Amino acid sequence: MPSIKLHPRCSSPKGTATTSRPNNPLPALLQTPSGLALLELQGTINVPTGNEEDIDYSTTTENAATFETPIGKLIFPDYSVHNSDDTKWMKRAYMYVGRYQRMTGEVKKLPRPIAVLQKRQASEGEELEVVEIVRYKIFFKSRPEPVTDV
Amino acid sequence: MSTQDSRRILFTHTRPQEGFRLLELTPELEKLLTSKDAPVLELKSPSTALAQAVVDPAAHDYVNLCTPTQTYRIRQVQSSNSLHVLRPSRGEISQADIKVVEDEAGESGALNLPDEAVTAIAKCSSTLELHTPPGGFSAVPFLEKSLRLYDRRSDDDIAMGGSADSTGPLGSREMREARENLFQDIPMSTVQCEQGWMELCAFVDGAEETACWRPSVRSRLAVWKRLVEGAFLQGIDLEKQFLVGDLWKSVLDDEDEQTEPPFPRALLEAVVRRICIADERPPLADDIIWASFDKVECTQWVGETYLGATAPTMSSAIGRNDFLRAWKDCLPETWRGEAVLSKLPNGCYNSPDPTTIYFVEPAQRQLTSKTASAPATAAKAKNTRNWHELLKGRR
Repeated sequence: MPSIKLHPRCSSPKGTATTSRPNNPLPALLQTPSGLALLELQGTINVPTGNEEDIDYSTTTENAATFETPIGKLIFPDYSVHNSDDTKWMKRAYMYVGRYQRMTGEVKKLPRPIAVLQKRQASEGEELEVVEIVRYKIFFKSRPEPVTDV
Repeated sequence: MSTQDSRRILFTHTRPQEGFRLLELTPELEKLLTSKDAPVLELKSPSTALAQAVVDPAAHDYVNLCTPTQTYRIRQVQSSNSLHVLRPSRGEISQADIKVVEDEAGESGALNLPDEAVTAIAKCSSTLELHTPPGGFSAVPFLEKSLRLYDRRSDDDIAMGGSADSTGPLGSREMREARENLFQDIPMSTVQCEQGWMELCAFVDGAEETACWRPSVRSRLAVWKRLVEGAFLQGIDLEKQFLVGDLWKSVLDDEDEQTEPPFPRALLEAVVRRICIADERPPLADDIIWASFDKVECTQWVGETYLGATAPTMSSAIGRNDFLRAWKDCLPETWRGEAVLSKLPNGCYNSPDPTTIYFVEPAQRQLTSKTASAPATAAKAKNTRNWHELLKGRR
């Protein structure tokens, strides 16, 4: 397989956006047509992986294939919907891990935009697709510090 | 609800995670991908045989990203940081779990789920970066390895068994298919493949089986000589527009329709395409019907081709005056004045002593210019903070 096709982003994101897409709570600057955004961390998020078999899929709802584990909160303390043109808010972002640890970071414009690629669904053979082009990232370069609950 | 509260976003982790790749875009690529009719791109790597035949000193295994016109080398860059792909949550969170992060979550809580949650759906520990080597990309070395060599002088009577055969000439669709099939294995953009194809005067012939050929320098020169002869006899002015069909007829022995053509028509067309005026050159997918030659460019090509055919190496160097005379003899009468050494392409010849001359392969020419620019790239690597480049320089 010397050649793999890479399809451009679907040209009609609006059509899909209206169909049951959850509300995007991120600041407008970080929102993309598909809703995808990037978050960079020093280190990684560790979520226990061993208990996949323990989950009883039969008792959960039809969305049982995926489930979410809460990690913490993202806060953009200086952001306001009313003056979203102002970019000063980008200088500060917090990420709470649990309730008592906090990382301080910022929102950064990527030096070069990043295309998010994914295997194309419903295609024979291997084909890739650009699902989004992202221009900003939320960036936490420091370690978590202990805080009291907010 | 205050605006402050609206920016407190619950952050979750989704399982199972999805698979994504992150590709850093160049400005041109961003423009291309966000344009209205964005083309389908290709990730190409050479076939195993080609990868062994055309060794890239910079990389062992590689994948190139090809737009219709451009080629980029993909480099996977590992990062100690992890990049997570987020998307708005679909609310598949159990309310009980939220207590971990939010004490008063619930009916009166600050978090109004699922409107205010994002979730990490993938983790990427590396990104794909694109770059173009200083010398750019050329499909020629790959084509040279994958095309069959066509090397017959037109006066060779021992032709390949029945080349003007019963199956008849191939249609342009079959030719295109054969060509595109071949390009599949060449890790370059289509335009670059076609450019190399054209430069080599490559052609498709279906005499025995459909195959793609590249004529040897000697064959190219033979085609040219025959073409000039034919044009002279039939009174075709090569500098004015002529029908390629007429030129083909002039090349054939018109005394006897049954004799075999000296070479396939596709080869004549490939040579005409190579040397015709570039603005008038039709796309490779179209047949070349009309053409005209530019005296200066054409003379240059003939000189280079002649030198390549007769003095391909230093040991076979020929006398300069002999070369100039022979070069002139290859040209139509009125062009003879154009044949002077200064008109040859830069670096295409070398002289071991003041009276002799020999041909320098295009690959060798690039090599000399590359060694000149190598210190520059080394210096550039020193300034970069990318440790991959730093290490590569030291190896």
